[in-house]
Amino acid sequence: MQLKYKFILPLALLLSAVMLYPLAFSGWLAFHEYRLTRLDDVHFVGFENFVLIATDPSFLNAMGNTLIFVLGAVSLELVIGLSLALLLQKLNILRNFSRSILLAPMFVTPIAVGLMFRFLLNAELGVIPHYLSKIGITVDWFGPDLALFSLILIDVWQWTPFMLLMFLAGLEALPKTPYEAARVDGAGPWLTFSRITLPMLRSVIVVALIIRALDAFKVFEYVFAITRGGPGNSTETIMYYIYQTGFRFFRMGEAAAAAIMLITVILVLVVLLVKFSQAEEARK
Amino acid sequence: MFSFRNPISRAFATLALLLAVFAVLFPFVWVFMESIKPASLGGRPDLWVFSPTWENWNEVTLNSDVPFNILNSFAIALVTVLISLLCGAPAAYAFSRFRGFESARYSILAAEMMPPAILILPFFLVLYHLKLIDSQIGVIAAHLTFVLPVVTWFLIGFFDEVPRDLENQAMIDGYTRFQAFYKVILPAVRPGLGAAGVFGFVLSWNDLFYALLLTGNESRTLPVAIAGYWTFRGVELGKMAVAILIAVIPVLALSHSIQKHLIRGIGGGAVKY
Amino acid sequence: MSYVRLEKLRKSFGSLDILHGIDLEIARSEFLVLLGPSGCGKSTSLRMLAGLETVSSGRIFIDGRDVTGLEPRERDIAMVFQNYALYPTMTVGQNIGFGLKAKKMPADQIKKKVDEAAKLLNLSHLLDRKPGALSGGQQQRVAIGRAIVRQPKVFLFDEPLSNLDAKLRVEMRAEILRLHNELQATTIYVTHDQEEAMTMADRIVVMKDGLIEQVGTPEDIYFRPATRMVAGFIGSPAMNFIAGTGAGPCRIDSALGALKVDAAVREGQAVEIGIRPDNVTLAQSGYDGDNPVVPMTVKLVELLGPRAIVSLEHASGQAITAVVPYADISSFRTGSQVDIMLAVEAMHVFPVS
Repeated sequence: MQLKYKFILPLALLLSAVMLYPLAFSGWLAFHEYRLTRLDDVHFVGFENFVLIATDPSFLNAMGNTLIFVLGAVSLELVIGLSLALLLQKLNILRNFSRSILLAPMFVTPIAVGLMFRFLLNAELGVIPHYLSKIGITVDWFGPDLALFSLILIDVWQWTPFMLLMFLAGLEALPKTPYEAARVDGAGPWLTFSRITLPMLRSVIVVALIIRALDAFKVFEYVFAITRGGPGNSTETIMYYIYQTGFRFFRMGEAAAAAIMLITVILVLVVLLVKFSQAEEARK
Repeated sequence: MFSFRNPISRAFATLALLLAVFAVLFPFVWVFMESIKPASLGGRPDLWVFSPTWENWNEVTLNSDVPFNILNSFAIALVTVLISLLCGAPAAYAFSRFRGFESARYSILAAEMMPPAILILPFFLVLYHLKLIDSQIGVIAAHLTFVLPVVTWFLIGFFDEVPRDLENQAMIDGYTRFQAFYKVILPAVRPGLGAAGVFGFVLSWNDLFYALLLTGNESRTLPVAIAGYWTFRGVELGKMAVAILIAVIPVLALSHSIQKHLIRGIGGGAVKY
Repeated sequence: MSYVRLEKLRKSFGSLDILHGIDLEIARSEFLVLLGPSGCGKSTSLRMLAGLETVSSGRIFIDGRDVTGLEPRERDIAMVFQNYALYPTMTVGQNIGFGLKAKKMPADQIKKKVDEAAKLLNLSHLLDRKPGALSGGQQQRVAIGRAIVRQPKVFLFDEPLSNLDAKLRVEMRAEILRLHNELQATTIYVTHDQEEAMTMADRIVVMKDGLIEQVGTPEDIYFRPATRMVAGFIGSPAMNFIAGTGAGPCRIDSALGALKVDAAVREGQAVEIGIRPDNVTLAQSGYDGDNPVVPMTVKLVELLGPRAIVSLEHASGQAITAVVPYADISSFRTGSQVDIMLAVEAMHVFPVS
């Protein structure tokens, strides 16, 4: 065997065992009736699971919630992360201090984040509603209208630091001369930002967006810790839906079909995003 | 690059930054306060008005399963990371050095991004049949699905930065390629190995999804234990706060130590700044 | 008797040919320089000799042994890389001794050899430092120390001086030559710097596009360039070239008029005449009846100190560069008319293909 294959052999074997095999198994599951409660009656059902899932209003609802969550969270994180990165870059006072603090949330156990906010925002016991009511504002953070938005805010609290980290490094690596040239040419701050900084940060932004978006699709802990999908099913996300189908109702076949449809949706989105960013690139 | 020369805009900018710092710090401060509140006052929204006590801390560290959960979390994360480094480092080196691995390199990234939803069902069923539900082995196997790709991807960027001439030199000096790898290249990426290890450790330590479904009394990890407090709210809030702090503090300390290596690792040699 | 021999050496990456068949013989103790513009295949040749690149076809012999398919470690060579490639986690002493450790030499002997090498290179006081704490010149010397301590059959240098500043470069050049004279080691040295090649080499191999253009002593290369490319590549400022057509034996019609040359030319043959700027003189500074005198217009005078580079243009548009004593041209300005004289015996004639 060629030397280079020996180097990757351990990884390949291990990944085949813990990923390829489960993936194939999931593929198989998706085409079978497989209930944990009826293990003696496992049989092939063709596309039936896919049809069931695709026509299940709660699956479509969960998909919709997840898309809203991903879109809302990632775009807020992008805007806030970029703004904070620019602020940190310009204000040299406090820089190292605030940088260390601002990066902290991304390392915190997500279930802990979920539980902290569950109690911080709780309508009767929470500190934040308590103090807000003192200045005459009453907000039901986990009511039917706001619950999904609150989960988005929690995700923003935890993951904006990731964007910040990427953009700080991106800004630090930018060459200085275009800025000096822009100053000599008399360009104002906004022009400098939109015509110099933003285009030069573009590849970093695309990578950060993709990583964050793919990660946000997996949101589970906040839902599990706070709303359990409610009120109603207004915060049921796709991961929580699959968890329910597979481990509450023990319908493994349908859960696998839902997971495969999730991956398909993600793949399509990634391909679109990459295509779009390449087209943008080519246009320039 | 412009800076805030105008004192008013400078003041606004500073204010915005302080606001962000406050927003980040506030939950931590609150959870600490909750942890030293007397149990009788647990869950009352007032932040400051109480006489602090360590009863929650004593209760959790001496009289609960939490120390056992910590041990489980620690052992699982450690073993996962060690296996990942052992298998990931040579592979990351190969991806960084040899021609013909360009697509393999990105399949690692794809593996890293795989939603756990599709893997958990087979894991559960296989472990169920092997009678390995509620065992550390099962969780370690499950955690390898994301820690192994992350660690491998993380290391590629570090290997990319080691000049190829270094192993060429070692091979001319009389060593085989494999000897050159572990005698010269591995020591040169030691900071990267440390950072990748810490990052992988944090990911495993923080996982709830797999641990929730694959562990039981014998192997319960800290995040699952924390999640267990939520049903008893109010009375148990102080103890939950303690468990959260115990879960969060070591991870924050560890991650702070690898901050400057994070970017190169997350970029995995794909982001060129 | 050749010590290192390359036979019809070829290299291609996929469909891209890098080397088109190199034949070369190097004598024992010789200092051979591979010189050429970037992308000419000189570094690839060196790396194939070291065993770092596979050979597409052809063979390599070192000291009579066919090493074509051998691993680098089996070839008994040492190499100094452009970026020094010092092991960052080892001390200077460990760096130098690392190759001896591979040979399983006992520790006390390694120490002795490392000390000797360090003394030879003035590194004794730095043996416990890490490479990161050294200056560029010191790192360079550690890299050389690592090579000489092993007493290999062949030393390979891959542009070792290009990361140093100009002054250090000259110093290290002398240092490497001193070591070469002392150790009498067979050395193959790759560079794109013609000054380095001219001052250091016993013989120079000029390469272009994966082919050898000329092999010869520095004198051969400079005074008797075999091809138009060698003539144009060597020498600074670069040689002047004048296009022309053969008009009978030893006569060429060119933009500067009919020129008499010391070379056989067929009638109607397209040629280029090359003449170095040093061989272009101002006519009034000493007239010689045999050499053609041509009226030119001064375009630019660049002072180098005692001498000046003068860019001239003929009425036909032909440009000529001359290097002349500054005193001769101090009174001229851009636009001045001046007669120049071309030294016939210094003209090279190259056929145009």
